[in-house]
Amino acid sequence: MSNRIYAGLSRRTLLGSAAYLGLAMAAGRAFSQAFGDGGGLPPADGSLRWLDSGGQKGVFIKEYLTKYGEARGIEVVYDGLPWKEIASVLPLGIRNGSAPDTFNLPIGMEPSVAISEGWLQPIDDLIPDFDNWKKAYPNGSFVEGINVFGGKTYGFPFSTERRFNNALLFNQDMMNEAGYDHINADRALTFDEMREAARKITENSGGRSFGFIIGGAQEPRWGNTATMLAQRGGATVGSSGLLEGMDLKTGEFAFDHDAYVAGVELLLAMNSDRSVFPGSLTIIAPQAREFITQGAAGMIIQGPWNIPIWEEKTPNFNFGVSPGPAPDEASLDNPVWVMQLPNSTNMMWLNAKANNAQYAGDFFHWLGSLEGQLAYANVASCADPAIFPETIKLAQLSERAVTMLQMAEKRVRIAPNPFVRNPELSKVAAAYVDPTPNLAQAVQGLFAGQLTDVKATLKKASDARNKALDEAIAKAKSDGANVSRDDFAFAAWEETRDFGPEDYAKQ
Amino acid sequence: MAVNHEVAASVKLTRTDRLAARIWKSRLDYAFLIPGLLVFGAFIFWPMIASFYYSALNWTGFGENAEFVGLANYRELLQDEFFYAAFRRSFAFMLATVPLQMILGLILAIVLNNKLLRLSTLFRAMIFLPVVSPVAVIAIVMVLMLSPFNGPINGFLLDAHLVDRAVDFLGSPQIALWTLAGIFVWKWTGITLIYWLAALQTVPAELYEAAKLDDVKTRQVIWHIVLPMIAPFAVVIGLISAIAALNVFPLIQATTQGGPFFSTEVMEVYIFRTAFAPASGQFPRLGYASAAGVLFGLSIMVLTIFQAIAVRRTRRKEAEDV
Amino acid sequence: MSDTAVASSRSQKVFLTPRRKRQITSIILAGICAVWVYPLIWMIAASFKPNSELFSNQSMIPIDPTLENYIRAWTEANLQRYFFNTLFVTVGSVVITTLAAALAGYVLGRRAFPGKWVLMGLMVFTLFIPQGYTIIPIFQLLTNLGIGQSLWGLMLATCGHNIVIFMLLFAGYFTQIPKELEEASRMDGVGPVKTFWYVMLPLAKPIVVTVVVMQALMAWNDFLLPLVITLANPAMRTLSVGIYSFKGEHFVDWGGMTASSTIAIVPIVLLFLFLQRYFIDGLAGAVKG
Repeated sequence: MSNRIYAGLSRRTLLGSAAYLGLAMAAGRAFSQAFGDGGGLPPADGSLRWLDSGGQKGVFIKEYLTKYGEARGIEVVYDGLPWKEIASVLPLGIRNGSAPDTFNLPIGMEPSVAISEGWLQPIDDLIPDFDNWKKAYPNGSFVEGINVFGGKTYGFPFSTERRFNNALLFNQDMMNEAGYDHINADRALTFDEMREAARKITENSGGRSFGFIIGGAQEPRWGNTATMLAQRGGATVGSSGLLEGMDLKTGEFAFDHDAYVAGVELLLAMNSDRSVFPGSLTIIAPQAREFITQGAAGMIIQGPWNIPIWEEKTPNFNFGVSPGPAPDEASLDNPVWVMQLPNSTNMMWLNAKANNAQYAGDFFHWLGSLEGQLAYANVASCADPAIFPETIKLAQLSERAVTMLQMAEKRVRIAPNPFVRNPELSKVAAAYVDPTPNLAQAVQGLFAGQLTDVKATLKKASDARNKALDEAIAKAKSDGANVSRDDFAFAAWEETRDFGPEDYAKQ
Repeated sequence: MAVNHEVAASVKLTRTDRLAARIWKSRLDYAFLIPGLLVFGAFIFWPMIASFYYSALNWTGFGENAEFVGLANYRELLQDEFFYAAFRRSFAFMLATVPLQMILGLILAIVLNNKLLRLSTLFRAMIFLPVVSPVAVIAIVMVLMLSPFNGPINGFLLDAHLVDRAVDFLGSPQIALWTLAGIFVWKWTGITLIYWLAALQTVPAELYEAAKLDDVKTRQVIWHIVLPMIAPFAVVIGLISAIAALNVFPLIQATTQGGPFFSTEVMEVYIFRTAFAPASGQFPRLGYASAAGVLFGLSIMVLTIFQAIAVRRTRRKEAEDV
Repeated sequence: MSDTAVASSRSQKVFLTPRRKRQITSIILAGICAVWVYPLIWMIAASFKPNSELFSNQSMIPIDPTLENYIRAWTEANLQRYFFNTLFVTVGSVVITTLAAALAGYVLGRRAFPGKWVLMGLMVFTLFIPQGYTIIPIFQLLTNLGIGQSLWGLMLATCGHNIVIFMLLFAGYFTQIPKELEEASRMDGVGPVKTFWYVMLPLAKPIVVTVVVMQALMAWNDFLLPLVITLANPAMRTLSVGIYSFKGEHFVDWGGMTASSTIAIVPIVLLFLFLQRYFIDGLAGAVKG
C-alpha cells in the first residue's frame, strides 16, 4: 500500500470536492454501518458464492465480500480462477447445479446466449431502489444488447471498458540498455523497433532472459494480441467476442487484412530471432506475468491489471508502459477500439438458480453506489477502473496507474456495436457455431509452426467465420428474427471518436 | 399315485413356467447380484447405451433444447480433421508407450526377481513410487523439471553440451506428445514391473539353480525357458497396459491440455474439449462429443476382439504344447 | 558410473563371483532408481525454496530454506478439505466396490441361474470401453439423480470404473474353491448369506486385497470424474482437482504448488511403504487370478 501515491498530486486534486471527501470517509466506515441493517433479506441458504477471474478486482472482492458476509451473517466463498479454467468450470457447474451464485461469463460467451440457455436471471427486482440506483450510473452503463436484454438488466457493471487491454509493459532497465529509453506512454514502438528491441534484450542478457513473452497456453491471448496489432495498423475491426476481427465498416470478418498479417508476422519474426521466451506456448498469463518480474523476459503485451499487481508484489521492479506497437511511425497515433463503455468481461451475472440471489443483489447495490465504487477504485486502481469516473479522481493511485488511465482516455475509443443497434442479433449469436480453428487458434498454430503461410491461414479462418455467421443469420431469420448482415456494417463510422447513442440514431 | 400325479403336472408345465420356476428358485442369487448390477448398470452399461442416443442429438447440455439430428454428427465427424488427428494420436501414444513400458518392466522384473539380491524390495518400492503419486502432482513436477527456462533437465543437457539451446519439451508441437509418452512410461512402469514379477513367480525356482554359476547359461535359461513360460502373461499384461494407455486424459489435461495447437490432443482430450471445455466463443456439443466417443469406443472394441482372439490362440497353442 | 561398471564387468568376467556380480547389479540398479525418484525428491526439495529461488537457483538445495510454502498451501489452498474429500470418496468407493463385486462374483462363479451367460457376455463386452468415452452420460445421470454435485455421486460413479474386472476376478477365484465347503455349512444349517460372509469371503482374502488395492489406487489417482463433478465448487474438490486448480490469483504460485503436492503424496507413499506386501500381492493377483 505504501507505494501508492495520491493521484491528488496531479490536476485531479482540483476536481475533488468536499462531497467526494465525505464519501471517502464513508468508505472507511465499518462495513456493517455502511450497509444498514439489510432488512427484508431472507435467511441465508448456504453460502454466497462468487466466481471471477481474480486479479486486482479479486483482491477487492475477496476483502469486501468477506466483510459483507460478516456484516450480514452469511458465509461467503470467493473463487478467483484463470479465464482458461472459468471456460470449463462454469458450464460444468451450470449443468450439475453447482455453479456459484454470481460469476463472470467465460470469454467469448455472448450474454444473450447464456440467457437463452437459461443460465441467468435479471437483477432488477433484487437490487433495492433499483431505478434510482441505476440513474446514478454514468451514461451508457446500461445498454440494451450489452447487459440489458428485453428491458431487463442482467449484467451488473462496475468497471469501465475504456482501458488499454493490450498495452506494452516492459522492464525499464532492459529497455534502456537496448537503447529504447524514449519509449513511454506518448511514444510507442514501431513493429521494426519492437523486433529489434526484443533481439537486443535477448542479446544483452547473455541468454538469461528473452525479449518478449506471452502466456500462450491461454488461447484467446493470441487473438487479442493479433487484433490489437491489427487495430494499431489501421484495421477498423471489433475487439472481442463474436465481433473480434470484424471490420465494422463493412460487417465482414477481416483476419486477412494486411494489418493482421503484419501483426502476426511481427510475432513470428521475434520467434524466429529466438527472442521469445521459450516455453511461451505452455504458460498462462499469470505465469508470464511472474516471469517478467523475475527478469526472464523484457516485454509483454498485456493489460493494465499488471500494474497494481507488480507494484504490490514486487515493489522494486522497475517497469514502464506504452501503447501497443504500431506498424510504422505514421500509425503511432492510431487508436484502438473497445465495443462498449461498461466492461463486459468483468461484469457479474446472476445464476438463474442462485441460492442467495438477494444477497448478491444487496452487495451489487453497495458496489454500484458512489461509496462502493470509491472503495473499489482505491484497490482496483487502473486494473479494472471503476465505472464512476468521479471516483477515480479521488482514489489513491500510483504514477503508472495514472499514466495508464490517461493513455486509455487518449487512445481508446468506443466502437459501434451491432448488438446495440439491433438487439435481435442476440438470436444470431445463439445460433452461431464458431469454426475450428478460430482466430486465436490460427495465430497460435502459426506461432507454434503447426500452420504455415500467414495470409492463407488467416484468410481461411476469416472465410470460415464469415460463412458461419451467414449460416447463423439464416437460422435466426428462419426462426423469425428480424436480422440481416447489414446490421453489422457502420459505413459512416468516424473511427477516431466514440460512437455514442446519438450516432446509432443517425445510422 | 401321488408320485404319478406330480410327474403328470411337471410334463404339463410349459417352458416359460419352468423358466419362471427356475428364476424364482434363484431369487437369492439375484439378490446377491443386485449391488454389483446396479453399479454396473448405472455407470457402465447405461452410459454406453446413452452415448448412442446422445450421439444423435444436437445439444449443448444446458436445459431442454436438445434437437434430434440423426446421423448428422457422425457425418460431420468423418470430415473433422481434428477428430482424425486425435484418433491417430491416441493410437500413436499407445504404440509408443505399451511396448516400451512392457520391455522396461520385464527387464527390471528379471533383475529384481533374483532372491539373493539384497535391497530388491527397496528398489521395487522406488520404481513403484510414481504409480502412487497422483497425476496432478506428477504434472506439476514434470512441468517444472522440463521447463525450458532454468529447468533442471535442460540445465543438465546444456551443461553436458548435449543440446545448444534449451529444449521446449512440452511446448514444441513436434515433441510434446513424445515427452508425455515418456512421462507416462515413467509413471506406470512400476505397475508393469509388478505384473511381470507375478508372472515370474510361476517359473519354478529350480530352473535358475541349474544356471547359477554360468552367465551364458543364465542367459539361455531366460531366453529359452523363462520367457516362453511367461509369454501367455504378456498378452494379459499388454492388454491391461494398452487400455491404460488410452486413459491418458489426466496427464495431458494437467500438463498441456492438448496444446500447443492441438499437438497433444488425444481422443479423450478431444471429447472433453468438445463436450465440456470448448474454445472461447464456441459452445459445448454433447451430441457431437458422444458421437466421437461412440466411434472411438467401437474401434477400441474391434481392437480388443482381435487381442482376445490372440489370447485364445496362444492359450490353445500352449495347451497343445503341453 | 554405470558405464564403468559395465566395462569392468566385461573385462573381469572371469574373476567375478556371483556375489560380486550381484553387488555390481545393485549399484547399477541404485543408479537407475535414483534417476527414477529424482523428480519427486527434487519436488520435495523445491517445496522448501522461496518462489524467487525456484527458477533462479538451479541447485537442488535451497539457499534460503523456508516453510512459507507449506503455511500458504495449508491455509490458503484448503488442502485439509481436499484431503478429507478424497479420503471419503476413496474409502467409500473401496467398501462399496469390494462388497458389491464379491457378492456378484460369488454368484457368478458358483451358481447357475437363468441369464447368467447373457450377463457375463454383456460384462465382458463392456470391459474395454475406456472411462473417458462414457463421461458425458455418467455426468448427466448423476445430475438427473440430483447427486451430480455431491461427493456421494462422485463416490458411486468411482465404483463403476473397474467393477466388471473385479466381479470377474472374484468369479474366477470362487470357481476354484471346492464345493464341499459350502455343502458342509449347509448341512450345519447355516444360511446362504452367513455362508458367504463367514466362509466364502474369508477364503477369497487374496482377491479382496487385490480389489481393495486396485480400487484405492484408482480412486486416489482419479482425475476426469472428480474434475467434471467437483471443479465448479471449491468445497468439493478432491486433492487432484484442488492441486490442479491451485494456480493463485495473480501469479502462479509454484512454491505453494510443490508444497501442496508434497503434502498430497506423503500419506499415500507412507501407506504404500507400510503395506507394500499387500500392494504387490494385490496387483499380482490381477494377473494371476
